[in-house]
Amino acid sequence: MAVLHAWRAARVTPLGELHAPPRMTAVLVRLVVQVVLVASLWHGLYSRTGTTAGLAEGQAVSYAVLAVLASRLRELDQYAGRDTVLQHMHFGTIVYWYLRPLPPQRYHALRALGEQLYGFAWALGGYLVCLAAGVVDPPGSAAVAGVFALSLLLGQWVLYHVMLMLDQLCFWTVRNNAAMLILIFAQNLLSGVYAPLWFFPDWFITLSGFLPFQATLSVPLSIYIGRIPLSDAWEQLAVQAFWGVALTLFTRFLWRRAARRVISQGG
Amino acid sequence: MNGMRIAWRVTRLNFRAQLEYRTEFLLMIAIGAIWQVSVIVFATVLLTRFTGMGGWDSSEVLLIPATRMLAHGLFVLLLGRVHGAGRQIQEGRIDIYLTRPMPVHRQLQLAFFPTNAIGDLTVAVGLMVGALSRSRLDWTPGRISYLIAAVIGGMLLEAALFTAITCAALRFPAADYWSRWLEELLGTFGSYPLNVLPKAVGGLLTYGLPLAFVAYFPAAVLTGHGHDTGAPYWLAALSPLLGVAAYLGSRVLWRWSLRHYAGVNG
Repeated sequence: MAVLHAWRAARVTPLGELHAPPRMTAVLVRLVVQVVLVASLWHGLYSRTGTTAGLAEGQAVSYAVLAVLASRLRELDQYAGRDTVLQHMHFGTIVYWYLRPLPPQRYHALRALGEQLYGFAWALGGYLVCLAAGVVDPPGSAAVAGVFALSLLLGQWVLYHVMLMLDQLCFWTVRNNAAMLILIFAQNLLSGVYAPLWFFPDWFITLSGFLPFQATLSVPLSIYIGRIPLSDAWEQLAVQAFWGVALTLFTRFLWRRAARRVISQGG
Repeated sequence: MNGMRIAWRVTRLNFRAQLEYRTEFLLMIAIGAIWQVSVIVFATVLLTRFTGMGGWDSSEVLLIPATRMLAHGLFVLLLGRVHGAGRQIQEGRIDIYLTRPMPVHRQLQLAFFPTNAIGDLTVAVGLMVGALSRSRLDWTPGRISYLIAAVIGGMLLEAALFTAITCAALRFPAADYWSRWLEELLGTFGSYPLNVLPKAVGGLLTYGLPLAFVAYFPAAVLTGHGHDTGAPYWLAALSPLLGVAAYLGSRVLWRWSLRHYAGVNG
C-alpha cells in the first residue's frame, strides 16, 4: 500500500506534463534550439583557438550540451502546477501537507523523485540523439561511463537537497522571491551551467570547491568528458557523498523546525 | 496629463509598498545586479579565454553587452511588467483591470514597482561607462546620438517581443513559458558578436527571433563591423527604428488580442 501511495505521489508532475501536449512540444522545441545554439556557440568560439583551460573543442561542446540536457532534470513548470512550497506558503495551503497521512518531507521527496525521473527520460532521449548525431562525444571508456553514472546520481542527490533548502527557506521568510532567485543563480553559476568552471579564474574554482553546487553538475560532466581523470574521480565522488549526507542531515533538521512554524487560518 | 499624474502616484505608492519588506527590497536590488553581473562574468571569461571573438577586439565586444544591458534595464524599469504577465492572466487579474477606467496595458505596467531594475541599471551603467572608457572610437555627437537611439530601440524591441508573448498568453496562459526562455536567449546570445555562430544560426537569431537588432547590429555599425554581420548594412543601421516599429506593432497586436480576450475560464 505504501508503494502504491508513493507511486501516486511521484507521478503527479509527470502526469500533469503528459496531459499538456503544448507544454511538452514547447519543451522539445526549446531543448532542440538550445542544444543547437549552445553547440554552435562553442564550435564558433573554438574555431580560432586550440585546447584552452585543459578543454579541447569536443570536450567543451560535449560539456555544454550535456549541461543543457541536464537542466531538464529539474526544470518542470512547477509553478503552473500550483504545488510549489512558495505558492503554498503564499496562499496558506501548506497546512494541507501536514493534514495528510503522508509526512510532508516524504511527499516532497516523492514529488521530486517523479520529476527527476521524468526529466531524466527527456535528458536521456536528448543525449542518445546528440550522441547519434555526433554532437557530443561518447565517454572515454566503459569505466568512465560507469563512474559518470554514479557521479550523476550523487549529483542529483545533492541537487535535490539544495533545491529543498530553497523550498524550506519559504517557511522562514514571508517574501523570499529574491533570495530564491539569488540561490538559483548561485546554483547555475557555481555548478557550471553557464560555462564550464574550468574556464573561470583559479580563485573562482577554489571558492566553488568549498560549496556544494559544483557537486551537482560540474563533477559528473567533468568526469564524462575526461577533464577529471578516473584516478581523481574517487576523491570527487567522496566530496559529492559528503555533501549529500551533510545536506540530508541539515534538511531533516530544517523539516522539524519548519513544522513548528506552520499555522492554520491565522492561528 | 491626468493619466500621467495618476500613473506617477501609483508608482510612488508601489515603491513604498516594496519598501515595506526591507530585506526583500534590498535583495531584489541585489538580484537585478547579480543577474547582470552573471552576463559580465560569462563575457569576461569568454573574452579572456577566446581572444578576438568573431574578429572583434574585447573593447568592441564589451559595447554589445553594455548596450543590451542598458536597454534591458530600462525595459525592466519602464515596460517590464509584460514579462511574466501570464501569471496575472492565470490569476484572472486582467478581468479586474477590464472593469476599471484605465487602459489595461497601463494597469498591467503599474501592477508593482520593479525594484530589481535599480540593480539592473546600476550594473548596466557601470558596464557602459567601462565599455566607453575602453573604447578607442571617436565619440562624436553623431555616434553618441546613435548609441542613445540604439539603447532606446533595444528597449522597445525587447518590450515588443515580451508584449507579443503576453498577447499569446491572453489566449493560451501557458504561453508565458516562452517568456522565460526568451529572457534566457536574450541574456545568453544577445551579448556577443553573432558572427561566431554558423550563418544559419546567426540568420535564425536575426530574422527568426530579431535578437541581433537589440545590441549586436548597433554595436557593429558603431565599431565599423557593420558590413560583416551577414545582413545588409542599411538594415543593421536601422536597428533603432526597427525597435520603434516593432513596439508600435506589438501594441496594435495587444489591442487586437485584448478585444478577443475571453477570460481564463473561456
